[in-house]
Amino acid sequence: MFKNHLKIAWRSITKDKFFTFIKVGGFAIGIAACLLIALFIRDELSYDRHYKNTDRIYRVVLQGMMDGELRKSVHFQLPFADALASDFPEILKAGKVNTSELFGAGKRGMRLADETQNNFEEGFVFANQQLFEILEIPLEQGNAKNALIQPQSLVISQNKATKYFPNGNAVGQTIVFDNNSSKPYTITGVMKDFPKNSHLNFDFIMPIEDTNMSWTNQNYFTYVLVDENANIQELEKKMFSIMETYVIPAQLKRGRDENFIEVLKTIEYKLQPVSDIHLKSDLKMGDGLKHGDIRFVWLFAAIAGFILLLACINFINLSTAKSANRAKEVGLRKTIGAFKSNLIAQFITESVLFSIFSFILGTILAWLLLPTFNAIAAKAILMPWTSWWFLPIILVSALCIGILAGLYPAFYLSSFRPINVLKGSLSTGSKSGRLRSGLVVFQFTTSVILIIGTLIIYKQMNYILKKELGYDKEQVVIIEGAHILGEKAQNFKDQLLQLPKVQQVTKGDYLPIEGTKRNGNTFKKVGEGNEERGIPGQIWRVDYDYIKTLGIHLTKGRDFSKSFASDSISSIIINEKMASRLAFSNPLGKQIDNGQNWTIVGVIEDFHFKSLKEDITPLALVIGNDIGAISVKLNPENIKETIASIATIWDHNVPNQTFSYTFLDQKFTHMHDGVQRMGKIFSSFALFAILVACLGLFALSAFMVEQRKKEISIRLVLGAPFKSIYKLLTLDFLKLILISIIIAVPIGWYIMSRWLEDFAYRIDIGLEIFLLASVIALLIAVVTISYQSVGAALIKPLKSLRTE
Amino acid sequence: MITMLLQLNNIFKWVNSGGQRIFLLKDLSLKVEEGEFISVMGPSGSGKSTLLNVIGMLDNFDEGEYDFLHESVHTLKEKHLATLYKQYIGFVFQAYHLIDELTVYENLEMPLLYKKISGSERKALVADMLDRFNIVGKQKLFPTQLSGGQQQLVGVARALITSPKLILADEPTGNLNSKQGEEIMEIFKQLNDEGVTIIQATHSEKNAAYGSRIINLLDGRMV
Repeated sequence: MFKNHLKIAWRSITKDKFFTFIKVGGFAIGIAACLLIALFIRDELSYDRHYKNTDRIYRVVLQGMMDGELRKSVHFQLPFADALASDFPEILKAGKVNTSELFGAGKRGMRLADETQNNFEEGFVFANQQLFEILEIPLEQGNAKNALIQPQSLVISQNKATKYFPNGNAVGQTIVFDNNSSKPYTITGVMKDFPKNSHLNFDFIMPIEDTNMSWTNQNYFTYVLVDENANIQELEKKMFSIMETYVIPAQLKRGRDENFIEVLKTIEYKLQPVSDIHLKSDLKMGDGLKHGDIRFVWLFAAIAGFILLLACINFINLSTAKSANRAKEVGLRKTIGAFKSNLIAQFITESVLFSIFSFILGTILAWLLLPTFNAIAAKAILMPWTSWWFLPIILVSALCIGILAGLYPAFYLSSFRPINVLKGSLSTGSKSGRLRSGLVVFQFTTSVILIIGTLIIYKQMNYILKKELGYDKEQVVIIEGAHILGEKAQNFKDQLLQLPKVQQVTKGDYLPIEGTKRNGNTFKKVGEGNEERGIPGQIWRVDYDYIKTLGIHLTKGRDFSKSFASDSISSIIINEKMASRLAFSNPLGKQIDNGQNWTIVGVIEDFHFKSLKEDITPLALVIGNDIGAISVKLNPENIKETIASIATIWDHNVPNQTFSYTFLDQKFTHMHDGVQRMGKIFSSFALFAILVACLGLFALSAFMVEQRKKEISIRLVLGAPFKSIYKLLTLDFLKLILISIIIAVPIGWYIMSRWLEDFAYRIDIGLEIFLLASVIALLIAVVTISYQSVGAALIKPLKSLRTE
Repeated sequence: MITMLLQLNNIFKWVNSGGQRIFLLKDLSLKVEEGEFISVMGPSGSGKSTLLNVIGMLDNFDEGEYDFLHESVHTLKEKHLATLYKQYIGFVFQAYHLIDELTVYENLEMPLLYKKISGSERKALVADMLDRFNIVGKQKLFPTQLSGGQQQLVGVARALITSPKLILADEPTGNLNSKQGEEIMEIFKQLNDEGVTIIQATHSEKNAAYGSRIINLLDGRMV
């Protein structure tokens, strides 16, 4: 019997190849989309779960209300970790990491001690031995117990070890940074590369060199390993004693007033599970790491669910659409003795067979699309072919979904009454029309929401790229690894200025893009008492010509100039934000204090030095001598040649280090990669959903045409023109699409305005977005439906009216 | 003066099946004058319906000439054909073919809508038909609420409403009992008396007798 079912199923699959193609293809697309999203989510959720003690490792977070807003931070004082370990028995180990460029983390020029060739490398951090132990970083070479104990020791990743020591032993080798051969580092260990799904990812770890045990400077991420019986809530509360015992006395000693201390008293310490860091970190924490977002994980999961649901609905619709073709078969089978249960079994067999085909096709499709998807999502996901659970899950899903999707058609088709069918007076139940309309509305609502989302993300990205930033990011080349120039930096700058196509040159590592130097200071007007708390702001040590090179607008006063001797000692230029926060009506000539007194000589327009997700904050520029990078403003023509000339000058000055450069505008775009990535992911999902919804609509219009064939024929015989038949068949569907749009617009608006809230600088969601989305949806729908309704309006009426 | 309505000259129609040519119509010639009432008879499969469909331009033929009101149908384009038959021909089907979703009134009105006849005129024409066929009281009912005879009455009324020159009826009484069939035949007779040309296909000798001329078909040929 079963073999017979299979045979019949196979025949009906191969009979109408086009139809089978649409049915299986549509389902497979849905499955592929779902599978990709599932793999993406699995990857996102897998972050930082690879430790043996995952559920006992926490990162310390500080949070409190300051000036009426919730502030969070993950930066702590150098002695903080040690105090935690000694004061609380539940905390078994406390590790710290410093990723700040101010201390020499981040980028360095490096070379082997016995070679002359320098290389520019990134991914340097300072950490203590405990961190090593907490994060269970496995060593391939060296002793994990004491790799970071000795000063000037260095642990490098397997990747870098292979790069520098292709022949094997790295441990014991000596490395020199930035040509500083008076302070060589000795490799004490080679660690396994950090897994892709770890929130931290470094290539070079050095022991902490900072000796400033002050309780007022905060530069260290702090991680703890707690006892398995520790009560986390209680521990968090107890940790406040750190504030009382160490921080507050230190701040009082520094001369902080009561108000400030009151604020400190409201601060809480929180423990963030290590596995939450990737997805549940807040931008406010300011850890500078690339994070995922749990909201997107949920959103994507919902989208995956919807797409699968849409695909199943289509499957059902397509199966019932062809019911008239099967009706006669059903009638005949019943008259020769088939029970309803036989027929149900037959149709379910068929549906499961379809489902298995679709799953095979969908899995192959997902596999083919995975490289593209990885590129879009910046992931390195692999198809888990070899995982023991993968194939069983696919198979079980294929069975379950096949049965579920087959149930309705099976019951529907098997319930035809043979007499009606055989007489030819079959009315293919239009009763469930409302249900089907509901399904179309559901499918198109989903699609329209995704279209709206895609449009808004692209509009925001476009806004970011086109936004007036307050500085000119075009044609600015940034030469990296300029530490190496040392004394020669000024000379190098002067030589560059000789080039005809070079407009301006400025030295310094403080640039308006993420990943360059930053700091935190407190500014006050000079002469104000201690009762003023001051305002937070950054102080950037820059070179002369900084303002000109970056095209920053000076609104008041003057730029730094070598003709004023005081400029290199006590002159400061502040941004408008700082001027307004300090409530200056005319700031020029006034003095401000951040521990040192400065005289304001100029005010610059606010420019964006963070991603557009964040507000512009107070900022001040002073003359300093910092040569981490050199920025060069070029003439727009012949940029390649100019860069070649710069490279020649570079090689002349530092023959041992490769010339390495980027463009400021590229770095700016890079800073917003996340948004771009979101846009691409969203639009590809939107495409999937639209494709599936279109197939659905196609199926449904086929169904409707099938049902109304007789009516259409009668109308045609009675003289109906093409136009009227076309309208008859199209209009009903367009109404459904309009309803979908009406439902989708507010939902899309709500979701996307929540998304835009992440940005301090954002677009207004204009009416035109919704109009465009509606037009797109309507066009797609009209084209899809037209295929069927044009076909129907052109049928030969005779075919469906013949009675014999 | 008698005018020619249509003329078929040596019409052939065939299908190819398994390398063999099966003739549905074979060398068929027929002249129909206005005002005739022709009954086409013959056993099942003899080509009655095919002939009617060819005359009604619902189906095409493979060889021969067909003139309808001095237009040569075999040279006309599909679209032109459609306007021709929509203007001059009304159809009555064995299975009535009323639209189940529309009321009797709406079914009658439909062909007028497609001819773009104004609302008031439509109303008048539909009212005339309802009156003439004594179905005023049923105008708000749906086809499924009517008996077979009543449905066919509506079918005939619908065919007549555009005042065609020719009515083609393919076994109009095939699904009816004898009394209902007689009623329909009486109506046809009456219409013919008023000048409408009628061609009907039928199995029944009795019904065929209503016609002024009988054509017998066997295997696609006239006998």
